[in-house]
Amino acid sequence: MAEPGSGLFFSLYRKRALVWVLVGRELAARYRGTLFGYLWSLLNPLLLLSVYTVVFTLVIPARVASNAPYPLFLFAGLLPWVFFTGALLDAAVVLPDNGPLLKKVMVEPEVFPAVTVLSHAVHHLLALPVLVVGVAMAAVGLGHPFPWTVVLLPMVLVFWLATVFGLSLGVAALAVHFRDLKDLLHNVFTLWFFLTPIVYTPEAVPAGVLRQLVLANPMTPLVSAYRSLAVEGTFPPPATWAWCALVAGVSLVVGCWVFGRLREGLAEAV
Amino acid sequence: MSRAARVIVEGVSKRYSLSSTRGKLHSLKGALLHGELWRRRQEQGGFLALKDVSFTLETGETLAVIGPNGSGKSTLLKLVAGILKPTSGTVTVRGRLTALIELGAGFHPEISGWDNAIINGMLLGLSRREIEAKLPEIFAFARLENFAHEPVKTYSSGMFVRLGFAVATAVEPDILIVDEVLAVGDELFAHKALDRVAELQRRGCSVLLVTHDLALAEKLAHRGLYLNRGEVVFSGPAPAAVARYRADVASTEAGEAPSTARGKRWGNREVELTSVELVDTEGRPVQVLRSGEPGAIRLAYKVHVPKEDFVFGVAIHRADGTHVFGTNTHLDGLQPESLDGEGSISILFPSLELAPGRYRVDAAVHSVAGLAYDYACEVLEFLITAPVPWPGCYAPRHRWLPAGPKFARLQP
Repeated sequence: MAEPGSGLFFSLYRKRALVWVLVGRELAARYRGTLFGYLWSLLNPLLLLSVYTVVFTLVIPARVASNAPYPLFLFAGLLPWVFFTGALLDAAVVLPDNGPLLKKVMVEPEVFPAVTVLSHAVHHLLALPVLVVGVAMAAVGLGHPFPWTVVLLPMVLVFWLATVFGLSLGVAALAVHFRDLKDLLHNVFTLWFFLTPIVYTPEAVPAGVLRQLVLANPMTPLVSAYRSLAVEGTFPPPATWAWCALVAGVSLVVGCWVFGRLREGLAEAV
Repeated sequence: MSRAARVIVEGVSKRYSLSSTRGKLHSLKGALLHGELWRRRQEQGGFLALKDVSFTLETGETLAVIGPNGSGKSTLLKLVAGILKPTSGTVTVRGRLTALIELGAGFHPEISGWDNAIINGMLLGLSRREIEAKLPEIFAFARLENFAHEPVKTYSSGMFVRLGFAVATAVEPDILIVDEVLAVGDELFAHKALDRVAELQRRGCSVLLVTHDLALAEKLAHRGLYLNRGEVVFSGPAPAAVARYRADVASTEAGEAPSTARGKRWGNREVELTSVELVDTEGRPVQVLRSGEPGAIRLAYKVHVPKEDFVFGVAIHRADGTHVFGTNTHLDGLQPESLDGEGSISILFPSLELAPGRYRVDAAVHSVAGLAYDYACEVLEFLITAPVPWPGCYAPRHRWLPAGPKFARLQP
């Protein structure tokens, strides 16, 4: 079972130069002909954060049991979530979109989901300065302690990346055979969003089935760990890390396994 | 000749599953639990695009794959290119392979031609440094120097394929797969494209060519593979493969069933070639001639159905498929009147100026339109000897005239 997976990583390693060039193309194509170019990667989250700040401090003053101001709390939950859903939704169409290449040129199909995930990851990294400036401003203006744990963010990003990559592989391969997977994902993500403690903390959910559900959600530890490090300034407990590792590991193994199983037929089916 | 095989195709069959018959949920479960989902289902139904095809492509050899639409030519190319996997049989490829199947596949419309060329070259297996070094040459060849930094969405379709062709051939492949793309761009570019393929051939690149342009197949290819309905009908010298295909087309047009013969001889045998011999000036059959001696090829025939429309032809080629000479009575301006009974016709060469080596002869009698009465491929083999082992095929009479250089002994 490990065999198709390791082959996948080996082939991606050999094609790493191509992968990076394609990531560059993806990012260049996205902003080509726009006035601000790469600045959009900063402007979009900046706008989002500004709107949250106005709405959730002036219009609906929201409070959560967190030592971070609510707009930053929400923002730090949304950023990785957008990375996760954006990459998966794109992964669902990446193989059909590159059908001409798969059919006409001998190219390893795993290159394309890898490019999708990496370009979304780069995108996510470009938004991080906004987050850091946000927490810095909160520290200066509101007297919140600056969360120095933010420098440890790469630790949790590794788990995010592994989870997103694993699931993207599985989604990309399955979406070739099941074209409605993308529509299904859209709806799943809407429900999943509210099952994940992004707008609230898990503690705010009444104890019972609902809270059990939120805690059992595999995205919960990832979001909690991310937010602890990024805005709350606390180091997540070992249990959360173990959870994150488990989610990332299972996603990778399952994703690679599904992709490896369907890999041979992809060029014919797209 | 000690030439290494670049491509070995052994007993390859390819079955396509028809998507309408696919049970989707069942196939998802089957895919994940049993792995080889497609193969397992393919055995039950679907469309058999290739049946038990075998051939080898040697270093520096060009093989033309010909046949009507739907005969499996493109499927065969994609199997060799590694894009498709055979249902059964094996495909072995040794060396860097480039497929000119869809030129410019994967060009991103928003990105400049320059950047697209880099990505395309890398997709074809070059490193970034290698492709960057070749870019000026690529853009000069495609005549796109002034458009290199424009996004390809602004390119015309001709510019698009020119760039695709230039990139694909710049990677200097060991094996080049060409699917009907040599007629790309304008007349000027089509010529450059052909020259480029010929240049690659000279450098020892093996070429697998699919084309409906039979004249081109005869011109470029050493050998031909004639496919029909996924099966190999004929494999042999390119002119013979083309002749066989033309004969089948002519049969179909004449309302007859095409020959079902699978060997090196076909035709409806309404006129039969009873013998094909190399003879000397005395009319005695010989197997060996000295280069420059006179010789004739004699075709003896027996007529079963009298004909007013007939052409006799011969073709001479080397054992490796190199086409040496070919002609027929129609080409040489002989108007047919009647053919009946038994008899013979000889083509006389007053001086057979062939380089030393083994030669093979195809002989045929067919209608002007190409309908084969009897087509015998490689029916005769003969040997040409010479005092000097001149290379190549042609050994004309010649002498050196030194005006200055001193030689110890002049030619006799």
